Amino acid sequence: MGVSYQAILWNKSKKRYDLWMSLFIILVLAVFVLAQMTLHPSITIETLIIRATAFTAITLLHIILIIGPLCRLDSRFLPLLYNRRHLGVTMFLFALVHGLFCIIQFHTLGDTNPIASVFLSNQNYQEISEFPFQILGFLALVILLLMAATSHDFWLKNLTPRIWKGLHMAVYIAYALVVGHVALGTLQYESKPLYWVMLLGGFVVIAGLQIFTGLREVKRLRSTSEKTKDKFVKVCNFDDIEDSRAKIVTIGSENIAVFRYDGQISAVSNLCRHQLGPLGEGKIVDGCITCPWHGYQYFPHNGQSPPPFNEKLKTYEVNIRGNDVWVDPKPKPPGTFIQPAKLEGSAS
Amino acid sequence: MNSPKSNEFYIGWKDGLPPRTRRLLILFITALFTFSLGITYLVVKNQKPFNNHQFELGNIQEFSGVLVYNPAPMLLTEGGIPETVSDELLLVGYGKRGALGFLQEIEEEHGQLRQRKITLRGTLIHGDGRAVLELTEKAKSLVEADEHEVFNQREISSPQPFQLEGEILDPKCYFGVMKPGEGKIHKSCAIRCISGGIPPVFRSKRSDGTFEYSLMKDTEGQDINQRILPYVAENIEISGQSQMVGDWNVLYVDMDKIRRI
Repeated sequence: MGVSYQAILWNKSKKRYDLWMSLFIILVLAVFVLAQMTLHPSITIETLIIRATAFTAITLLHIILIIGPLCRLDSRFLPLLYNRRHLGVTMFLFALVHGLFCIIQFHTLGDTNPIASVFLSNQNYQEISEFPFQILGFLALVILLLMAATSHDFWLKNLTPRIWKGLHMAVYIAYALVVGHVALGTLQYESKPLYWVMLLGGFVVIAGLQIFTGLREVKRLRSTSEKTKDKFVKVCNFDDIEDSRAKIVTIGSENIAVFRYDGQISAVSNLCRHQLGPLGEGKIVDGCITCPWHGYQYFPHNGQSPPPFNEKLKTYEVNIRGNDVWVDPKPKPPGTFIQPAKLEGSAS
Repeated sequence: MNSPKSNEFYIGWKDGLPPRTRRLLILFITALFTFSLGITYLVVKNQKPFNNHQFELGNIQEFSGVLVYNPAPMLLTEGGIPETVSDELLLVGYGKRGALGFLQEIEEEHGQLRQRKITLRGTLIHGDGRAVLELTEKAKSLVEADEHEVFNQREISSPQPFQLEGEILDPKCYFGVMKPGEGKIHKSCAIRCISGGIPPVFRSKRSDGTFEYSLMKDTEGQDINQRILPYVAENIEISGQSQMVGDWNVLYVDMDKIRRI
C-alpha cells in the first residue's frame, strides 16, 4: 500500500519468491548451456547467448501468462501472483539481452544503421515463410520495455490503475508477436516438428486457460436481474455469504463486493485501488477487507485504507429485509461512511 | 477463484504459507521445474547441428600470395593454410564489409597491388574446402608487397550453361563466423554482408549430398550484390553461364531468370 515512494518494499514473501525464481532461471540456463556445449560443441558464444536468453525469456513469459488464470481456478496459486512483476521484469531483461545481441550480431558493422537494418534488410512481406520475423520480435521488445519501465507502483499510482492495467494488458499483444517471431523465424529454419508442438502447445495452454477462466468470470459477473424495491436491488440471502467473505454482484455497470462480517453487511467497490484486483475474492482480516492479490486493506464500512494509507473505495448503501440482502447500486463517493446493515436479532 | 474446502487466505506481507497452499505450490513448482528442464533439454537436443567451419577469432596471421580482383578479391597463396581448404583465399573486410574498399585504401598508400605478390595480415575463416581471409586490421592489413607483377596462371574453363537450385550465402558468415550462417534466421545478416560488398556465394547440393560453392556475377561479369538482395537466404533456382576460374566456379547469372522455389 502506498504512502511514499520506495524502490521495492521487500518482505520475506518477495525474497522467497525471487529466490525460487532465480533458482529456476539458473537451472534452466545451466541445462541449456551444458546441453549445448555437450551436444553442439561448435556453437559460438554469441549464438549461445542469443539462444539461451531467448529460450529463458519465452519460458518465463509462458509462466507469467498462466499464473493469472491458475489463480482464478484455485486461490492457492495466489502466492505465485504476489511478486509476478519481478518475474516480468526479469523476463524483459532476458528478452533485452537477446534483442541487443541479435542487433549487434546481425545488423552492426554494416552499411546501414543497425536499427534501420532490422526493418530494411529483409523486405519480403509477400511470402509468409520469408516474412521479416525480426520486426515482430523488435515490436514485442518495445512493448515489454514499456511494461517493465512502468512496472513500479510509482507509475501505477501516477498513470492511474485503469490506464496502468490497460498498458500492462499489452502483454498479450507482446505474446502474440513473440509467437509470430518464433514461428516465422526459428521454426522456418529448424526442421523438427517438435518445435511446432512446443510453440502451439504453449499457445493452446495459455489461450485455453484464459478463455476458460474468462468465460467463468463473464458468467459470474453477469448483471443481476433480481427484483428491485425503492432504489435497492436484492442481491442474495444473508446466509449465501460466508462469514468474513463476500459475494460479488454486478448491477448495471457497478461491480460490487458485498461483505458479511460480525453479523452485518457492508458493500464496497469490487476493484482494489492498487491493481484493480477482485476485493470480493478477499477476506476480512483484522477487521479490514484484504485484497487477495497483494494484501491491500480497507475498512468495510467506509472503504478507507487504515492509516497511514490513503486509498479509498466507493461504498454502497445496504439493508437487510428478512433474510435478504439489498444493495443500492448508486455508489457513494470513495471513502463515504455507510452504516453497516445488521441482521435482525443479531447481537453484534 | 475458489478453494471451497478451505478457508485459507494468503497475504503476501504476512510470513508463511497456509498448509494446503504450501502443499499445492510444492507440487506445482516441482512439476514446473521438472517439465521446464525436460523441455530445455529437448529444445537443445533436437536443434539442427552446426557445421564445423572455423573462425580463428583473435588469431591474426600473415599470408603471402598473389592478389587478384577477378572474379572477386582473392589472395592466391602457396600454402600456409589448412590442407583441407583451397589455396585461393577469398578476401573480405572487417565487419559486414567487402575487402575492396580496404584494398583501395591500401593501394592509395602503396600503389597498385594487383597481380603482385603481397603479404596480408588477417583472421582466417575456413570450412568445407573453402578459406576466407578477413582483413581485420582494415587498411593496415598489408605487411609487405613485391614490386614486380606476377603472371596469373589460374586455369579458366570455357563457359557452360547451367541451371541450379540452392541458396545465396555470404561466405564470411557461412564459412565460420556465424553458427548458423545460413537460412531464414541468418537472412538479414547475410543481406547486410552482401550489401556491404562481401561477394555472394551460391550453395547448391551435388547428387552425393555434398555442397558446391560458386561465386556469382551477372551475365556481363559485373557484381550483382545489390540486385540479388531480395533472394538472399531463400531457396531459389538460377541459370546462366558458368566457368571455373582457378579453384572457384563462377556463375554468370541471368537476373531475369531467378525463380523462388
